[in-house]
Amino acid sequence: MNITLRAFIKKELTQTLRDGKMRALLFGAPIIQMTIFGLALTTEIKNIKLAAFSQPGDAMFERVTEGFYSSGWFARAAHAAVEDPFELIASGRADAVLIAPDGGLARSSERGDGKMQLLVDASNATKARAVEAYSKSIIAAAAVREYGASGEPAIQFDVRVLYNPAMESSMFLVPGVMGMLVCLITIILTAMSLTREREIGTFETIVSAPLSNAEVLLGKTVPYVVLGIADAALVVAAGYLIFGVPVRGPLWQLALVALAFVINTVSIGTFISTVSKNQQQAMLGGFMFLFPAILMSGVMYPVENMPGAVIAAAYLDPLMYFVRLLRNIMLKGGDSYVLWSNLGALLFMAAFTAALAYKRFRQTLN
Amino acid sequence: MKSFNIHRAYSIARKEVMHILRDPFTLSLALGLPVMLVTFFGYAIDFEVKDINLAVSDRDNGPSSRRLKEIFAASGYFRLVETGQAGPVEMLDSNRASAALFIEPDFSKKIKGGSRVMAQFVLDGSDNSKAAAVMGYLPGIRRAAQIRMAATPPRERLSAETRFLYNPELNSRWFTVPGLAAIIIGLLAILLTALTVAREWENGSMELLLSTPVRPFEIIAGKLAPYGILVLAGVSFVYLVSRLVFGVPFAGSHLLFLAACLLFITAALSQGLLISVLTRQQQVAMQFSMISGLLPSMLLSGFIFPVESMPAFFQYLTMLLPPRWFMAAARGITLKGADLGELAVPFLALGLLSAGMLALAIKKFKTDLE
Repeated sequence: MNITLRAFIKKELTQTLRDGKMRALLFGAPIIQMTIFGLALTTEIKNIKLAAFSQPGDAMFERVTEGFYSSGWFARAAHAAVEDPFELIASGRADAVLIAPDGGLARSSERGDGKMQLLVDASNATKARAVEAYSKSIIAAAAVREYGASGEPAIQFDVRVLYNPAMESSMFLVPGVMGMLVCLITIILTAMSLTREREIGTFETIVSAPLSNAEVLLGKTVPYVVLGIADAALVVAAGYLIFGVPVRGPLWQLALVALAFVINTVSIGTFISTVSKNQQQAMLGGFMFLFPAILMSGVMYPVENMPGAVIAAAYLDPLMYFVRLLRNIMLKGGDSYVLWSNLGALLFMAAFTAALAYKRFRQTLN
Repeated sequence: MKSFNIHRAYSIARKEVMHILRDPFTLSLALGLPVMLVTFFGYAIDFEVKDINLAVSDRDNGPSSRRLKEIFAASGYFRLVETGQAGPVEMLDSNRASAALFIEPDFSKKIKGGSRVMAQFVLDGSDNSKAAAVMGYLPGIRRAAQIRMAATPPRERLSAETRFLYNPELNSRWFTVPGLAAIIIGLLAILLTALTVAREWENGSMELLLSTPVRPFEIIAGKLAPYGILVLAGVSFVYLVSRLVFGVPFAGSHLLFLAACLLFITAALSQGLLISVLTRQQQVAMQFSMISGLLPSMLLSGFIFPVESMPAFFQYLTMLLPPRWFMAAARGITLKGADLGELAVPFLALGLLSAGMLALAIKKFKTDLE
């Protein structure tokens, strides 16, 4: 690397880091966001407000509802004895209502199948699904308590959960949020900074300096690659220290993967800057890329559930590979098949996007 | 404000509209984002976990083990995959399967003899929401296995008949698409205002504007109104697509929904204005808007992750976020047909928050001028 280029990169880096607000956004914001989301978000549905209706003195039904409240998923919904169950759900004071059969649960259970009615507020479909699954297992456990194991199926599943035995949401969400943050920061930062320079006209000055086009591009983009990797390292460390999210695989794999990913995002950011006239356009252009990229990445929704056309599009999403790699390396210790196939795809895309960005950049400079 | 002159505010607004219209790229992106979001959430997102790759190690290969595999496959949730050379756990390591089933050599013999059998079921916990869903499917599989394999299926002693209100088929898009209004307002209203006004500060035209006889309040009203209308257009568009293309029902009052939108838009525009005054630089304003606007409205509003499941501290924290209340109002109105009485709390909170935000923005804007 020649001296001019090295000095140029150094100057760009100091310039970005000199601004106090920018430093806070680059290094403070990701940590705060990751902490908030890691602590606040959980995929487990809890605190479901359940109301129970029965005739007075239905002891078996009371025992069943006790099972609901002691499960840890359900909370008591305050209500009067004569209220309309539908009204309770409509007003949002209950998420679900369990209603005993007429004549008491014990009698209904002796004569038939002891069928209770469960009304569920399905305006949140995910929550409704969880409520149904929880109730099934609670009612099955209640049946064993009342009648002994004779009602139990003869086949038992001995369930073991690998990689995350306590099923903590943070293990799953932190690597995803991490990938998302790095993606967001690098793309928006690159696109907006480069557009800003064009807006205020500093590019003209640089072009008159004795540097080749490739050197100008490198000088302008390498600082963001460095910052992006620094951010990635920072979030991995924070995830480990704050949430105990393990890094079971080797660190060099993580570093390599982060490098390949950041080259992608910085190239995309550069490309966006070449097609935008002002910072507002650069920002909106960044979002046009970021939104689908985040939604198709599997950070929040499993990719496999999406329709075929979307899955095909997801294969063009660098964030999908990055999140997949992060989860595999951090939680599963890094499988060589997963590593090389996904890293290969990332590198291939990095070469393509970098070439494209360079081509556009040269055109706009001249 | 007695010196407020609607004509002067209108002139500012007209200038802003011309500014927006002259930049077709920004306009098309501002309207393109909602289109993209609706299409994506309408077509692609399904929260039901299906097609789980299940690696099976069947060391019995008898009639009962084959039947058990059939039951898994027929449930619609699982897709059996060949393990080939690799063992089931290696399949989990390399993401080629999300669950594995181990069947012992004497499985069929034990079933025939009527004794209890244990099958080991291993789950990939690195995606814990998927793992939890799969665990929820197991009791149903067990029951199906019991009915098909036992000589005398046991009588069910206790059960519940579930009725899903408001969304009987648990259609995911009925749940996500109405929430998109919150995302679009949270994104466009905050970002566009923060950026436009920050740009005026950046290139000094704000000082110029302030030296004219136009009053600060007129400037604010004139600058924000066009963006309010642009955002409202985006929301109307989402509404039309969700009704016409996706058939999402709308059970409540349109007027009430419009009122909720206007309250939330006011809060969001004020927030954007406040950010622009505080930062005065487009890049910082943008990052700030994302942290305080977009991410909370996507993640902390209950759009996907329910607020009630959050730790107590965060449940209180989200009370300060307008998107949380707007989300409650929007879902209540569209799916449950709730009236103002039932939505008193969200509306009151939304009204208070937007009034507070607007007052704060105006105050900051005025003190900064002096």
